[in-house]
Amino acid sequence: MQKKQFLTPADIALELNISTSTVLRKIHAQEIPAIVVSDRIYRIPAAAFELYKAGRLKSAQPAPLGRPRPRPRIGEGENKPVAAGVAALRRA
Amino acid sequence: MATIPELRGYLGDLSAILWNFGAVSPTPTLDPYDDGSYGFEFSVLLPGSAAPKPAMIKMMETWEPARAGQYTQVEYEYDFVEYPLDRRRAFHRHDEEDFLREFGVAVHEHCEEVLKKPACDHYMGLPIDGYEAIQRFTILWGQPGPLGCSALRCMK
Repeated sequence: MQKKQFLTPADIALELNISTSTVLRKIHAQEIPAIVVSDRIYRIPAAAFELYKAGRLKSAQPAPLGRPRPRPRIGEGENKPVAAGVAALRRA
Repeated sequence: MATIPELRGYLGDLSAILWNFGAVSPTPTLDPYDDGSYGFEFSVLLPGSAAPKPAMIKMMETWEPARAGQYTQVEYEYDFVEYPLDRRRAFHRHDEEDFLREFGVAVHEHCEEVLKKPACDHYMGLPIDGYEAIQRFTILWGQPGPLGCSALRCMK
């Protein structure tokens, strides 16, 4: 059987042998990472649940400072907006 | 506006959120750039199907000095390329003068129901931050069905 990529709170509850409401409390407490699809719908990546079970979830730490470097060009390679006049010339 | 310690905290948050979803990436760094600005640039691979390649999220931001010890965000590029489902969603802020002049907006979005075959070059968007970008990408991640590009407003 193919392994599921995402789990529901009910799936987690079954596996941990706890109630779904306990799972939801853990999600709200950010103990179990979940994708919040809507106020009532949560999706837990199976990989996230594996990290939770293994005790390998990370708490946020300040990112380290890197070395000085040239500023990267954001948006490189993308079609840029063309001025209306230029666009008309191109079409002509 | 944010200080360097706040930016380090923000980037650490983004990195931890993605790690905790099972994403694979080296620890990102907040880099000083040669023009006095700061920024970051990193990509993560998401777990799941790796055919033809794993889904990828790329996060880039640049912050310029504003006043003593404070920086203001001037550019971002949040990209989600879901190779297994052959599609892309992105939120961008760059070349602001060009976009303001042509469309009257500072930011734009990309949406490709079929990768590299966009129905429109630039869609209208609203400014977002890294947290919201991750939220919006992960809602789409692994979910079959259209991204909903046709519901967006095309600016060309």
